[in-house]
Amino acid sequence: MNTFVERFTTNASNGLFCGNGAVEEDEEFSDAMWGSEAGFGSLARGVPSFTVPSVSDPAAFLRLHTDDHADPNCKIKIQHGTTTLAFRFQGGVIVAVDSRATAGSYVASGTVKKVIEINPYLLGTMAGGAADCQYWETYLGMHCRLHELRNRERISVSAASKYLSNLVYGYKGMGLSMGTMICGWDKTGPAVFYVDSDGTRLKGDLFSVGSGSTFAYGVLDQGYRWDLSDEEAQELGRRSIYAAGHRDAFSGNTCNLYHVKENGWNFIGNYDISKLHYDGPGDVAGSPGHGYGYDLRVEGRSSVNAPEAAPAVAAQA
Amino acid sequence: METSFALTGKGYVIVAADTTAARSIVKMKVDEDKIKEISPHLLMAYSGEPGDTVQFAEFVERNIRLYQIRNLYPLRPSAAASWIRRSLADSLRSRSPYSVNLLVGGYDTATHEPKLYWIDYLGTQVDVPFGAHGYGSYFALSLLDRYHDPEASLEEGLATLKRCVDEVAKRLVVSPGRYKVKVVDKDGVREVEI
Amino acid sequence: MPDMTSLAHPQQRSFNPYSENGGTILAIAGADFSVIAGDTRQSEGYSIQTRYAPKVFRLTDRAVLAVNGFAADGNMFVKKVKQRLEWYRHAHSKDMPLRAIARLIQTMLYARRFFPYYVYNILGGIEEDGTGAVYSFDPVGSYEREACRAAGAAQSLVQPFLDNQIYFKNQTPALGTSHPAHLPLPTVLSIVIDSFTSATERHIEVGDGLEMYVVLAKGRNLQGLEGVRGMQELTVTDDGERVFVVRRDLKKD
Repeated sequence: MNTFVERFTTNASNGLFCGNGAVEEDEEFSDAMWGSEAGFGSLARGVPSFTVPSVSDPAAFLRLHTDDHADPNCKIKIQHGTTTLAFRFQGGVIVAVDSRATAGSYVASGTVKKVIEINPYLLGTMAGGAADCQYWETYLGMHCRLHELRNRERISVSAASKYLSNLVYGYKGMGLSMGTMICGWDKTGPAVFYVDSDGTRLKGDLFSVGSGSTFAYGVLDQGYRWDLSDEEAQELGRRSIYAAGHRDAFSGNTCNLYHVKENGWNFIGNYDISKLHYDGPGDVAGSPGHGYGYDLRVEGRSSVNAPEAAPAVAAQA
Repeated sequence: METSFALTGKGYVIVAADTTAARSIVKMKVDEDKIKEISPHLLMAYSGEPGDTVQFAEFVERNIRLYQIRNLYPLRPSAAASWIRRSLADSLRSRSPYSVNLLVGGYDTATHEPKLYWIDYLGTQVDVPFGAHGYGSYFALSLLDRYHDPEASLEEGLATLKRCVDEVAKRLVVSPGRYKVKVVDKDGVREVEI
Repeated sequence: MPDMTSLAHPQQRSFNPYSENGGTILAIAGADFSVIAGDTRQSEGYSIQTRYAPKVFRLTDRAVLAVNGFAADGNMFVKKVKQRLEWYRHAHSKDMPLRAIARLIQTMLYARRFFPYYVYNILGGIEEDGTGAVYSFDPVGSYEREACRAAGAAQSLVQPFLDNQIYFKNQTPALGTSHPAHLPLPTVLSIVIDSFTSATERHIEVGDGLEMYVVLAKGRNLQGLEGVRGMQELTVTDDGERVFVVRRDLKKD
């Protein structure tokens, strides 16, 4: 086991890219590539190596050819548009996300898993580049496991998020795009950290990330209290994602809800946002018993304020 | 950044607009009234291109008044909103269009119905139970979807408005400091404090 | 004598190693089978380069990969995946499981995060538990297991049709009945054929030929596949998963 751990203990600082200019990836084959190593064979010697184009400014090359949300004519489209949220409260952490991926105005997928299950007690959320989040949070999961093997204890949420933050900061300016919340429960209790590809890392009680985040905040902030019950908290997460799905065209389809408690995370459910609009979340804890839609909620209620009909006596006179 | 909200309730419309007049990065004034009382039962919150806003608001005010003088009765809110919208639409197709976004709230004394119209500088008009302009709308609309009640009393309506103001103060980077709030109901127009 | 004045002007060059070669691919997973299909037209702009350029490739007896986008990158990528799978075979004396191939493809695509392969991949086949599976990828390696997926030029024409016919989206079952969770193979094959004939009608980059790969789970009988016109078996033994290919013509105008 020690030799296995040894192979991963290379310091992350020794060169993020193999060689300079034109890179012959074929020269970089390690023995590990013959095996499986969870598909991460290329990472066996510490840090993964990346091929870069042999141009003076690789980042500009990447910007030119990949979709930066602004230029729909770009060939390589990266999935965009999201609403994700996570908040800490008395009963743990609630994580709720939508499931829509868009490429320009095309709905590329309505079933994206934007909560990444790093391990049984750590969750990461996905906003920005889908591949960036998926890849680096999977990679983070491997290193969290190595931390356990080396230190005989689970990694703290703080340390895990810092590991990720330092990793992506190493690629700053290269075009990575991710806005993620690392959520979990450690010795300090429930914890939420916001980490993005600029290198920002923030500890906090409540975050929302993505194009629909403002709409989610509108509902979330107004309903949030530390002493929310588990049912109330789950309902607030669900209702906030619905609000974003309803008001932001780049968010929608379904809502995935997770609850992190002392013994790890639990998947609460997947809710169709159209169903939430018309029928509500169904027979679940905290359900309001009706659809979330405005028209349904105020049905039959009118702002007309007609004066009381004149009494019958007045008519006679 | 300029932000305005409006919402209807049982027999009234509340219209709120921030009071800052900004030029470049400077706040030139912090108590500007951006809600015009254009007739006894009609309010109009305006925002947009500095200069255009007041010019257009005064143009509307005078024409609505002229109608009342000529006909001895005021325009109903729906008719006033239609006329205002058409003015903007004509302006858009002229050499120098007005760049003004509006929230027109009125009390229809004939039907006892409070009416609210969301109008933008392109001449888009929508009849809404609540509305907002500016960056504040990104936070307020989802909130109003959740909390707005057409049968709310004035106190409840003002409490919902307070939620919007507080939310924008909490989350918007360059949030406006103070708001002017006006109400129109069967008794006409008045200013209220929140 | 070169014109020195014109040389004196600043010149800008940009490195553009990408093109777009049209075509569409599609994959559908059944309970114990998987169908992976693609048209065979390869074009650039309005010119057809060839009427037969395969976009669907057998990787192992239980995995088939469809690639779409920039053909040169696609062919290179398939070549490299096949190489890695062969090495795995040498090291472990068995074929790599489907879910492992999916993860391998993710890391191989992501290794080119800063110089991407302009390729959309769809991997189809049979999982270790014997179920049919489809994995779809973006060019830099984000992936997800799905029941069906269309990619390429006509994805916006084909995917809504699949959503309706496979997932029964926007359909309400008749009273007292429910939609089937998995469709039988003959139904799936006819949906695939209809998808491509229709896409050929309405998209100029789709047509010429259709290649449908069918992967059957271990021990599953041919049910529904016998007698299919243009069918050919690619596996030699029938004690493991079996791979078939069905070739059809599409309109060539």
